[in-house]
Amino acid sequence: MLMADLLNIEDLHLEFHTYDGVAKVLAGVDLRMQRGDVLGLVGETGCGKSMTALSVPRLIPMPPGKITQGRVTFAGEDILSKSESEMETFRASHLGMIFQDPVTNLNPLFTIREQLVDSVLYQQARGQKVPGRWKGFMPSVRQLRAEAHERAVELMRLTGIPDGDKRIFEYPHQFSGGMRQRVLIAMALAGDPDLLIADEPTTALDVTIQAQILRLIRSLVKQLGLTVLLITHNLGVVARSCERVAVMYSGRVVEESPVRELFKNPKHPYTRGLINAVPQKDVSRGGLIGIPGMIPNLIDPPAGCRFHPRCEQVMDVCRRQVPGATPVGAEHKASCFLYPEDA
Amino acid sequence: MSRLLEINHLKKYFPIRGGLLNRKVTDFRAVDDVSFTLQEGKTLGLVGESGSGKTTVGKCILRLLEPTSGQILYDGQDITHIKAHELRRLRGEIQMIYQAPAASLNGRMTVGQIIGEPLWIHEKLRGDAARDRVLELMTVVGLKEEHYYRYPHEFSGGQQQRIGIARALAVQPRLIVLDEPTSALDVSVQAQILNLLQDLQDQFDLTYLFISHDLGVVRYMCDEVALLYLGKIVEVAKTEVIFEEPKHPYTQALISAIPEPDPDLQREEIIIRGDLSHAFPQGGCPFAPRCHAEKLASCDSVLPPLLEAEQQHLVACHLHPPLSASSASEPA
Repeated sequence: MLMADLLNIEDLHLEFHTYDGVAKVLAGVDLRMQRGDVLGLVGETGCGKSMTALSVPRLIPMPPGKITQGRVTFAGEDILSKSESEMETFRASHLGMIFQDPVTNLNPLFTIREQLVDSVLYQQARGQKVPGRWKGFMPSVRQLRAEAHERAVELMRLTGIPDGDKRIFEYPHQFSGGMRQRVLIAMALAGDPDLLIADEPTTALDVTIQAQILRLIRSLVKQLGLTVLLITHNLGVVARSCERVAVMYSGRVVEESPVRELFKNPKHPYTRGLINAVPQKDVSRGGLIGIPGMIPNLIDPPAGCRFHPRCEQVMDVCRRQVPGATPVGAEHKASCFLYPEDA
Repeated sequence: MSRLLEINHLKKYFPIRGGLLNRKVTDFRAVDDVSFTLQEGKTLGLVGESGSGKTTVGKCILRLLEPTSGQILYDGQDITHIKAHELRRLRGEIQMIYQAPAASLNGRMTVGQIIGEPLWIHEKLRGDAARDRVLELMTVVGLKEEHYYRYPHEFSGGQQQRIGIARALAVQPRLIVLDEPTSALDVSVQAQILNLLQDLQDQFDLTYLFISHDLGVVRYMCDEVALLYLGKIVEVAKTEVIFEEPKHPYTQALISAIPEPDPDLQREEIIIRGDLSHAFPQGGCPFAPRCHAEKLASCDSVLPPLLEAEQQHLVACHLHPPLSASSASEPA
């Protein structure tokens, strides 16, 4: 391979120990990202897309969570074997994260300035990205904060918040939903991350604001050369903003492909079902096809392929064995027995 | 075909209190002069962003909120000020299905009790007779018989929404106000619920007022669409017309912002500035501060009335002169 993977998740198994039993949340997730990739991770509620993403910064509480198998490497470094303090440095210097709900992720008692400056200072201190001229002697707190303030205003300008130098003194409640999400993006960018993990960044927003935020993310990818892992349940969002897509179902990636290929030529029955379930332009009344049944119970998942109870093309082998990822086209992989490995 | 529901100049203002004596300072105009009609057996989509007043309109129709002014005609009868006992009868004809299925079901009642309660209230049905009806309703919405004694928390979101639908159907309503019935559901389940709603409409001759912010769903479900912006209707037309030839700049922007699952789709992307704000210039068009279209002098000073720009296509925008005015000037 020419380029080394920035992120490589291999055969990741994650379990949660609950009173009802052991929930097998992830059952062998494989995911690779290269620098500059914009990868969409799609799936329904409970398919493990957020858990996959959270296992990169290791933000899953353990216990009750437990990684039983698999490896996560970031630029060649093994993440799962790092100590907690190494993790803090790693998160500050390499990762940025934005979440679904911009309301709960900002503290209502502090101004935007306090929160943004704090994250800039933290990421600098932890990520040891203190500007060169400060090396060798301790700068005064006042100087550091003044510099961090400059940086914070700069970040607000970068994320498209008008009048950043004035609005930085305001409180979160004075910002609208879209503006708050921009503040969170600014925070995530404070440490110059290599990878931005965006977990349903536009789900709580109106469509017009969603379009603004997606455009912002696209322009940041161009400007800063970010690598983005975009988690969403909305196929339309993926079609608009990603280059590659991985579709997850019940703890596994079932199909992975470039965006255009996935929508033009979906291979896995689940992916097809998902695309058909979206009300599109030329679907007339009664023409919408849902996927029958419900997502499986994770404590007692179906044997073999976890999609088989809902699948229309189910075969005998599906009930017994778990399909592996097979290439079905250029850079296109699907985990389904419909596509035998030797074909 | 008859008009089942007619709304005339509906207004709902909420008082904003403040100052030393907590007196009314000003009004928050949640719904400001909304008029539309709904034909029997049809589905009207009420679309808008959060804060546009679409849910308030729905609640006013059921009289869950008292309108500040205006008139609501149901089946030719003015129901804006009817008394409590008449209102109870009316609620047997108009029902509502809510957005958050979990929050709209009483967690301490079994499914049987939840669906059976309206039967007792409206038809004084109890015991075996009620039980038979409940089981029948459960089959209609796709629930199984063994779910009768279960509690709502044992169900998934889609199943919970089915319970809500069965409860609304229990009293054999003619009009159902659907307030974002699928926005809390996954797409695969959403498709199931939307299809169920369409089947029920055909089966029981229902009329829907479909409140949603999801234009994709609205395009699939509705015969006619009304777009709300800050409590005012900006455009009303048949669904195909709205999606093919949107006239109002806000509608155009909204449609261009639908994330279509088609990466090859080439279209002009209109991204409107800023966000929903009630601080628009007094007397002017509420959308003027965010508008991307050509700006006229009247945009900031004159409120554009909702007029027929084309046959059965109402638009509230100065760029689109009313039909009568333009046709009068053309022959000259």
